[in-house]
Amino acid sequence: MAYNGGPMTEAMYYVLLALMHPNHGYQLMQAITEVSNGRLIMGPGTLYGVLSRMQKDGLISLAEDDGRRKTYQITLEGERALRMEFSRLKAMIQDGSILETGDENE
Amino acid sequence: MNKIVYKLRPSDYWRIGEHENWFADMAAKGFHLKKMGVQFARFVKDEPKKIRYRIDVCIKKKITAEQIQMYAESGWDYVTSYQFFHVFSSPEERNAPELHTDPAEQSYTLKDLDKKLARNAGIVMVSILLMFGMLFSIWFLDGTPTFVLVQGLAIQQTILTIFIGFTAYTTLQASISIRALRKDLIEGKQINHHAPWKKHHIRNSILAFFCTVVVGLTAVLPFVQLVKADTKTLPEASPALPIVRLADIEKNPALVRGESTYMGDNVDWGNRYTYEWSPLAPVQYETDENGVVPGKMWEYGSSEYTPSIHTRVYQLSIPGMADNLISDLIKRYNYEYSVEDFVTIKHPKFDHLIVHEEEELKEVLASEGKNVILVRYHGYADLDSVIENIEEKIKIISK
Repeated sequence: MAYNGGPMTEAMYYVLLALMHPNHGYQLMQAITEVSNGRLIMGPGTLYGVLSRMQKDGLISLAEDDGRRKTYQITLEGERALRMEFSRLKAMIQDGSILETGDENE
Repeated sequence: MNKIVYKLRPSDYWRIGEHENWFADMAAKGFHLKKMGVQFARFVKDEPKKIRYRIDVCIKKKITAEQIQMYAESGWDYVTSYQFFHVFSSPEERNAPELHTDPAEQSYTLKDLDKKLARNAGIVMVSILLMFGMLFSIWFLDGTPTFVLVQGLAIQQTILTIFIGFTAYTTLQASISIRALRKDLIEGKQINHHAPWKKHHIRNSILAFFCTVVVGLTAVLPFVQLVKADTKTLPEASPALPIVRLADIEKNPALVRGESTYMGDNVDWGNRYTYEWSPLAPVQYETDENGVVPGKMWEYGSSEYTPSIHTRVYQLSIPGMADNLISDLIKRYNYEYSVEDFVTIKHPKFDHLIVHEEEELKEVLASEGKNVILVRYHGYADLDSVIENIEEKIKIISK
């Protein structure tokens, strides 16, 4: 399914986030764990699937390819999509702030 | 060198979790997967080891070096591929992270396969409908299914169609299963990597054995029929054969054999008998005989009197088919006369006796137990004489 601007999967979001710095394979998995503060550990199958799909959708591109190892980077379109998703998530957090006031009333 | 062991592979290739579990169970017994063939999986005998196996789906038959590299860096070794399924393994002590940590993402890997299988299932279903249609026409176009069955003409096609039908069912099952698996993944349900495989495996092994035997026998059947079948020129006398002879009906010493109308393979086809075999009618005779009485003329017209006889003899495996065979024989070889012209007569020596008389044409169909005889006679001898002869001959075949 081509990315249509709707809500991203968690995997997509973090891969794009991690690819703000061009990266490859194993290191990218580590970067994802890092950027999610250890909350998300992504398996190589999931990562590979997300990478090939997002590359097809034009959200990321190859920065370098030495045959065995491919280095990916985020594209302009990818960054735009990531920022849109970020504002969407932020709006969702703000909308959820009533839960925090509710807690305070307790 | 380590011993190589072949095991019948599960035919239901779409059950991913069961395959993973099967490979793992085999490795625990010391059989390590090396390759998947068409029918067999190849294992190498080695130390028993606890190994995890994971199967990745990719519509491309060749997996990319990048993917292999990426998985290897996480502790997953590429083992082998079969069609769209790629097997990776990792010893348990290596504690490698799961390949797929996000079921929803994994569901994308099934999308193309799902589409492809759905398309296959569609094509196969249409073809199988066409095949059933063709088979149906062989069987029922003439409305004589028993005859078709007894002659053994359509047995092979029928069994093959059943097996192709079974294959079609499998294709459909694959498509439905992969669709269901994809749905489960989208809903966040992980693949069960420890799905029990034994029940399906036993069922598949029995089925594979059974299919091989039946298809093998079916393939042999036409050859047996060919070898057993034979056509010869009728001898002057044939006391041992259950064939009603022209001379016995005519009872005229002046009767001589008619000139042969067609000779082929050293057989006079105007005076021949054909022996045939089929599973449901192990003894079958079909005969033609033409005679002439020199000097005697047909009552109408100015040509010489040339009586003729055509007979069919069947000994069935299943006596219960006799009645249906008779009515099919009437339908199949009767163009001019309607079925109502055939009259059933009660006779102590036959289970069933049907006659049809139209001037010099006399047709008699008789059955007794598992034996069926049809006689079509052209000539001036009377019907009773034909029936008496059938009575004699049916005794011969009953022995």
